[in-house]
Amino acid sequence: MPRGHSSNQPMNNSRAGTGSADILSFVALLKNFQQGRPSIPLDTHDVDANCDGPDLDFVYSDVDSYQNEIAELYSYTEYCEFQSNVKAFEDQMELYDLPPNWQKQDSPSQRSIVMKLIDQLEVSNRTLRMQAARCILYLAQGCWAEVQSDEEQHQNTRDNVIVLYDLGVFSSFIDLLNMEIESACSPDIVAVKITNVTLVDSTDIRVILSVLYIITETIRDEREKASEDYKDLAESFVQEINSPLTDGELLAVKLLGMITRFCSGAAPQFPMKKVVLLLWKVSLLGLGGMDVLKNLKNEYRLKVGLDPIKEDTLEVTKCMRASSPPATATDILENQYPKRSFNRRSLMKQRFLDEPEQIDMEMSGNEGSGNANNASGNNGGSNGEEELLQYYRPFDDPSSSASNTATANPNNQPSLTAPLPAVPPVQITARLPWTPKVRQKDIDQFLDISRNKFIGYSLIGDHESLAGLPQPIHEGFKTLQRHMYMSLADMQIKKEEDIARNPISTHEDEIKLTPAEILYQAILPNLPQYMIALLKVLLAASPTSKSKTESINIMADVLPKKMPLTATQSTKLTVDMGRHKEIIVKAVSAIILLYLKHFKINHVYQFEFMSQHLVFANCIPLVLKFFNQTITEYVNTKNNIPLLDFPSCVIGEQPDLSGDSFVYGADMSDKPYSWRNVFSCINLLRILNKLIKWKHSRVMMLVVFKSAPILKKTLKVRHAMMQLYVLKLLKMQTKYLGRQWRKSNMKTMSAIYSKVRHRLNDDWAFGNDLESRPWDFQAEECTLRACVDRFNLRRYPEATQKCGAGGGSGNNGGGGTAAQNAENSQQSNMNAGNGYGGNNGGADSNGYGGNNGGGGNNSGNNQQQQQLNDYGVEGGFPSDEILTHSDFAFFGHSGWWDRKVELTDYFKANYAVWLEEEVYNSQIDWDAL
Amino acid sequence: MKMADGSTILRRNRPGTTSKDFCRWPDEPLEEMDSTLAVQQFIQQLIKRDPSNVELILTMPEAQDEGVWKYEHLRQFCMELNGLAVRLQKECSPSTCTQMTATDQWIFLCAAHKTPKECPAIDYTRHTLDGAACLLNSNKYFPSRVSIKESSVTKLGSVCRRVYRIFSHAFFHHRRIFDEFEAETYLCHRFTHFVTKYNLMSKENLIVPISDGENAAPGESEA
Repeated sequence: MPRGHSSNQPMNNSRAGTGSADILSFVALLKNFQQGRPSIPLDTHDVDANCDGPDLDFVYSDVDSYQNEIAELYSYTEYCEFQSNVKAFEDQMELYDLPPNWQKQDSPSQRSIVMKLIDQLEVSNRTLRMQAARCILYLAQGCWAEVQSDEEQHQNTRDNVIVLYDLGVFSSFIDLLNMEIESACSPDIVAVKITNVTLVDSTDIRVILSVLYIITETIRDEREKASEDYKDLAESFVQEINSPLTDGELLAVKLLGMITRFCSGAAPQFPMKKVVLLLWKVSLLGLGGMDVLKNLKNEYRLKVGLDPIKEDTLEVTKCMRASSPPATATDILENQYPKRSFNRRSLMKQRFLDEPEQIDMEMSGNEGSGNANNASGNNGGSNGEEELLQYYRPFDDPSSSASNTATANPNNQPSLTAPLPAVPPVQITARLPWTPKVRQKDIDQFLDISRNKFIGYSLIGDHESLAGLPQPIHEGFKTLQRHMYMSLADMQIKKEEDIARNPISTHEDEIKLTPAEILYQAILPNLPQYMIALLKVLLAASPTSKSKTESINIMADVLPKKMPLTATQSTKLTVDMGRHKEIIVKAVSAIILLYLKHFKINHVYQFEFMSQHLVFANCIPLVLKFFNQTITEYVNTKNNIPLLDFPSCVIGEQPDLSGDSFVYGADMSDKPYSWRNVFSCINLLRILNKLIKWKHSRVMMLVVFKSAPILKKTLKVRHAMMQLYVLKLLKMQTKYLGRQWRKSNMKTMSAIYSKVRHRLNDDWAFGNDLESRPWDFQAEECTLRACVDRFNLRRYPEATQKCGAGGGSGNNGGGGTAAQNAENSQQSNMNAGNGYGGNNGGADSNGYGGNNGGGGNNSGNNQQQQQLNDYGVEGGFPSDEILTHSDFAFFGHSGWWDRKVELTDYFKANYAVWLEEEVYNSQIDWDAL
Repeated sequence: MKMADGSTILRRNRPGTTSKDFCRWPDEPLEEMDSTLAVQQFIQQLIKRDPSNVELILTMPEAQDEGVWKYEHLRQFCMELNGLAVRLQKECSPSTCTQMTATDQWIFLCAAHKTPKECPAIDYTRHTLDGAACLLNSNKYFPSRVSIKESSVTKLGSVCRRVYRIFSHAFFHHRRIFDEFEAETYLCHRFTHFVTKYNLMSKENLIVPISDGENAAPGESEA
């Protein structure tokens, strides 16, 4: 290696700071990614010189700190209402002839007061009822008027929540919530115009939701901390929210129903932020967070005979470091400047210097093994290095000394195979952040190709036999098998297939009523509407959405009755509105991700059902649109005024709120990023990954919506986990982006190479495998749909019928496989003769959009444009709309293509009368429609 | 009707039992009751012996699970309250008592519905007793009568609160019926003792005056 340390080091440090100087090779770099630690000291002192700033020290977790989560419940415009809570408390205490001081009451007297308040909650007079409710809210808020510090306030909340929950306040407030929901649909209230709804219209319901939220969040937090005094209470609370309320509805479903009703315009005064926050916390507590997910996954895997997962994505990414952002600006320069070649050369040089992995990418073909040797020399040749060498040699050797393989085989053989069994593969590959994986499908494909090549025929359904294949194929096969990964989903799908094939003899285990299962059964009948509603709220809260044709107004619970007059006030309101939107995005993204993850491990088809509806409702373009903003700005936004956050806004000496300075003053010392925005971004990226992974048709949506530049911009946020999810999304579509894109994005390509898990055999960057035929995407979606429908119909026949989906797919489901089913129904009911064989693509492929009759062309831009149309898109992005139920019938949704209408004989005989009466004679007022 | 003299006594009311003989079987100590319904049997036995001896009836036997004890008592209250409800039906109709009130300040909502609403007093009575019966017999909250989950015990408070309003309505609006019923059963007396003893309701909400001194009616809480 000719490049010397001394010359490289300064450059390295002053630039992006991704590598320390002694790392020259790929191998050592990977070691660095894995262990991370040695380079940290180096990293910190070149931070200052780094124009991009340091990595964000954001740690992803289920929620932010308790204090922030509570503070986010209130908007700043609600500030004056705190005072009415304390007023209600004082009035109430006066009625009881007691001093207005909660802490002076002894415990029996406190309980007695709460019991009296609960009694008052059942009074018919609304004013009295709400006074008691406010009183309880004040108690839940920790009696802030009596304390001096935040800690005291928190302590009071803790203590009071125990009393409140113990005496049944939670269920009483659910009754109150029911009443509010009910009265919301009485017609006199709906008369208010959507845009005129303000904070005042939701006063009562906000009190109720706040109490519910504080109780839920406090219990959740204490449970996390494993507080002794909360143990039993938390358990019974979790049980309570996981079982239906007295009216038979799950609390989460009730809240989802509120969102749906809000989105339909029937209840514009519902305070969406509080509803989604409560829904999020209730679901999180009911279903469980990351730890629960991890344990459940391993538990389920063990149950079906799979090994537990050893790598935890969250843990691994914690040890990763962020890549420096791709040089978008310089890319532009490259394309625009006339002195292009010069420019590029100098840039190239610099990039070479700070990106050793790229060097490696380009050189490994020739000197890969040399590099590896070098590195191990540099690092003192530890054991691990040696093993790694072993690991890499099989790949490098044949290329560098192809002629050797045949002759040197006897010599090579022992050295290759001997160490391998001794060392578990995990250890060998510990230098890459991830163990490579391979699917059974990929192995089959590999075998199939090899057999065709060497023997000349295929053995369908044989996963093992190697007869007649040459030694290197054996070796490759062994390596593949060692890395084969069976997912829980694979097992569940297989089980479903078995049941479909042998419905009587196959025994299905009893369906355990896990929290996720309960939730799924409860939301199944209305799942499509719920997904649409959630996405509508998400869209309305996205920073990029324009408020032009707003059918819903999520700002109703921020906007005060009187618009601000002074500049300070309007600054405050602007901050407040931004904050409000961010919080909604945070909660909704967390809810969707949480549901997806839980359904996925509970049963993959539950997950597929939900994700298909998300896709139908345009979730993918919506998320992309969300990222189509200056994302670094979004991550750094400071829509926060710490002085106005609860509880600091009511405790202690009140700051002077007239000056302008308070808006920004205290914030500078805080974190350089906004926790909730990074959290939302990661959630949304994870949702996108969940929806798209292994779904070729949806990968094509990424391509069609031109996601690559958007995602690349997102890479600028220096956070390893966030970048990982972006890189994954880029990796999926790399092979469709074209040579030119790959050429100008080598840096991104190397980041993918070094950070994303390798799929052996996966030619992600350049490949042209059979799967990538662009025309069978709707077949794929339909096959999936058929499987999901069959699953739902079998397991939840009643709910599915209510849902109105998939009514008929079970009828012909007895015999054929899922694919055949889909094919049948497709051919018989859709006029989508769009070429399974892909013969010419000229058929009338109106599966998706229907607006592009005929004339499609298989190649190039034409095809892409057509797909754009197919998705209902003119030019890059679809309009702001979430598709409503009827709109996406063309996706094959709502089962119209497999529903058979049975007409009675009587009807057939007398249809003319029916026609006369129902159609011709009925007057339709077209203007009213 | 004579029960078998020697070995076993069947504690059953067979078809054709005369009212004189109804439930007339000798007492049995709790320890000897060999049944999952022992606690209920024991309570009913005490009541039958002397309904006015409220203290004794409410004295929990040693080694008795407190949750079960409370639950069984509340069950018994609801069962006996049906007697009051039947008598009230003669006099209290939706046209005479259009709302559930005790004293005139507060009108209570009937919580038995999906959305609580204003029911006439007699409907409130029926709905609440039905609701209580449903809850106390629900498999979900009270699957066993031998041990009871802590989370379900908290449900008892709200049942007491709602049921008590039946007493107070009867007392303030149908005093004659109330007095007759109370003289026979001492039910309100016992109920007041019960909720006070186990702290299920706030004293200030117990607005029906009780004859003996210790629980004399406290001042009504104002609206």
